[in-house]
Amino acid sequence: MRPAHSFGLIICFLFVLDTALYFHVRFRQETGQRPTAHLNDIVTAGLGLTDLCLATEARYTRHPAVSDLTTPFMDHPGAIEHFPSGSFWAAPQD
Amino acid sequence: MIELESVNKIYNRGQPNEVQALYDVNLVIEANSMVCLRGASGSGKSTLLSIIGCILPPTSGRAAVAGKQLARLPDRFMTIHRRRTIGFIFQQFNILPDLSVQENISLPLLPLGVSPKERRIRAKVLIERLGISHRQDFPAGQISGGELQRVAIARALINDQPIILADEPTAHLDTKLSQEFLQTMVDLKKTGKTIIIASHDPLVTENPAIDRIIDITDGRVDVS
Amino acid sequence: MNPALEKHLNLLDYALSSLWRRKLKNLGIITVFAGVIFLVASFQILTSSLTSTAETMLAKTPEIVIQKMSAGRQESIPLSYLNRLDGVFGIRAAVPRIWGYYFDETSGANYTVMGVERKAMPEGRRLEMAIEGSYPEAGQGGAALGREVAANMKLAGRRTFSLFRPDLSLKTFRITGIFAESTDLLTADLLVTGLDDARDLFTIPDSLATDLLVYVTNPNEISTIAKKIAARLPDTRVLTRPQILKTYKVVFGWRSGFASICLLAALAAFAILAWDKASGLSAEEKREIGILKVLGWQTTDILTLRFWESLAVAGLAFLIGCTTAYLHVLFLEGSLFRPVLLGWSVIHPSLKILPVFAAGDVLLIFTLSVLPYLAATVIPAWRCSTISPDAAIK
Repeated sequence: MRPAHSFGLIICFLFVLDTALYFHVRFRQETGQRPTAHLNDIVTAGLGLTDLCLATEARYTRHPAVSDLTTPFMDHPGAIEHFPSGSFWAAPQD
Repeated sequence: MIELESVNKIYNRGQPNEVQALYDVNLVIEANSMVCLRGASGSGKSTLLSIIGCILPPTSGRAAVAGKQLARLPDRFMTIHRRRTIGFIFQQFNILPDLSVQENISLPLLPLGVSPKERRIRAKVLIERLGISHRQDFPAGQISGGELQRVAIARALINDQPIILADEPTAHLDTKLSQEFLQTMVDLKKTGKTIIIASHDPLVTENPAIDRIIDITDGRVDVS
Repeated sequence: MNPALEKHLNLLDYALSSLWRRKLKNLGIITVFAGVIFLVASFQILTSSLTSTAETMLAKTPEIVIQKMSAGRQESIPLSYLNRLDGVFGIRAAVPRIWGYYFDETSGANYTVMGVERKAMPEGRRLEMAIEGSYPEAGQGGAALGREVAANMKLAGRRTFSLFRPDLSLKTFRITGIFAESTDLLTADLLVTGLDDARDLFTIPDSLATDLLVYVTNPNEISTIAKKIAARLPDTRVLTRPQILKTYKVVFGWRSGFASICLLAALAAFAILAWDKASGLSAEEKREIGILKVLGWQTTDILTLRFWESLAVAGLAFLIGCTTAYLHVLFLEGSLFRPVLLGWSVIHPSLKILPVFAAGDVLLIFTLSVLPYLAATVIPAWRCSTISPDAAIK
């Protein structure tokens, strides 16, 4: 087989894999997430939630949506940033 | 037919290291002849060969190879003309050692859009003709000097070019291989090709098959 | 076959063979290149997915949240502020809420403790649907736990647990239910109890609340009503739903620290590659170009060859990098970035999110990776392919 054809096969394989992954995710969305999506709506509305539960180590990483720019400094005058999770989040924009 | 009229070649013109390699060369080489350019190292043989081989344009003067005026040709057209007209056999062979013998021979065919199958067929004809079938798939870096030269000859013939140029072809060969080379050239001349060999090797210059000897000394051609 | 197409296939064959002849070096380049792209693409997919998930999950977030500010710090808000909202037209309901953080010293975990009057909340009556068990009724010391909280407490079948008040006295809670797994990304660290029980735990006076949630009649009037509230309550911070949702659009922005690290690493890698390539071709490469030119290859053929070589390397690295990044987020929950994202958190919610890789993101990564590499490799080839073949093969 000429090298161009072999290379083409590899590229085709990767494209097919990517396409399969894309449809796999779409399928999981339909069968997995949609049926339980209403539970998230109920919880969010019922408890008045404003943030996802991702990093729970500091207020501004746990609740970035309701934190302000000075929140990271409120814990202690000499408190350093919670690294590395703190560096994952950009400062909130008012 | 090759015609040179008042051809000069100056390298690095206008710079401190300017060098004039050819002075007022006037030359006519008839088609289907076997000509030897004789001269010592540094005499300008390789430069003259490069101009005839459409690798270098002349600085001034008129040079026509197979009907095309070289001085006026843009680089692109010169390449096309060279591809169609000239088969070059280098002193150092200039074979790519990592490619196989067959791949080296069919290198000139790649940009022409010739299919792999067709390339193999055309290369095989020349490989068999030159007696290197047993090395067809060997990496060129692993074959002997004599075999390398045959690869260089085959590569020069792959497009069936009418003009074959050879620059000091016997420099790295023993007597036996040199004679084999010359015999190959004679056979090619019989098929209608024009052969020009640049050499100062007596084995070449004194060979009876040579139709004409052109002496070149310090960039000047003696056409006596 | 069309000679022009055959020519390109021939050049591609030659390019691939040339790459394969130096397979160790080129596979190394592809691996490093794909690794860098994997890093950038993983980050992009993970953050896009989290942003998209947040937008979906937080669509029903409260319309307006009012926090009291003092000297730049948030503090408890007096319930009397509810009276000052009376005259604002368009407010359907204003609900006080008690919530805060409880640090469990034994495990080092932070819980979010929340107390709401559920009858006053939208969907409050349907909260049982999201709980395996029942919602804690007001004043009965009940608590519904997030799954990670329950796991962290190591209950071993116990149905009660105790937490410390600020004066170190113990308050006992009875577990009424556990939140459903599908709500993990919202409830993993939650401990939900009645309003009075939360107030008791934090010893917050009856006249105060943590914040006020405001619901409006017409969602299109949110901004207008927020402005009115801000005018009436100047010492408060008024957050609207669009602002809350906007946070998650920008929270993972390129200016965040970790994104900058990823991007800088990628740029540094490309700069090194480009410098190496731009510093010129080796003597061997120049000789090869000279030989090809003498054999009748044109400058454009040489450039096309180098272009195919570079495209093969960059294209393959790009596809491998992006595909592995997608798999990394889809099947491994972004495990490479999880320690960074979670930091020192003890509570680890599952990141079973579906990856989002928008066409714009793919194009951006392609532009930042493949195109610079093509430029860095083709430009020196152009410089050398224009030299005289005579000079190259001497």
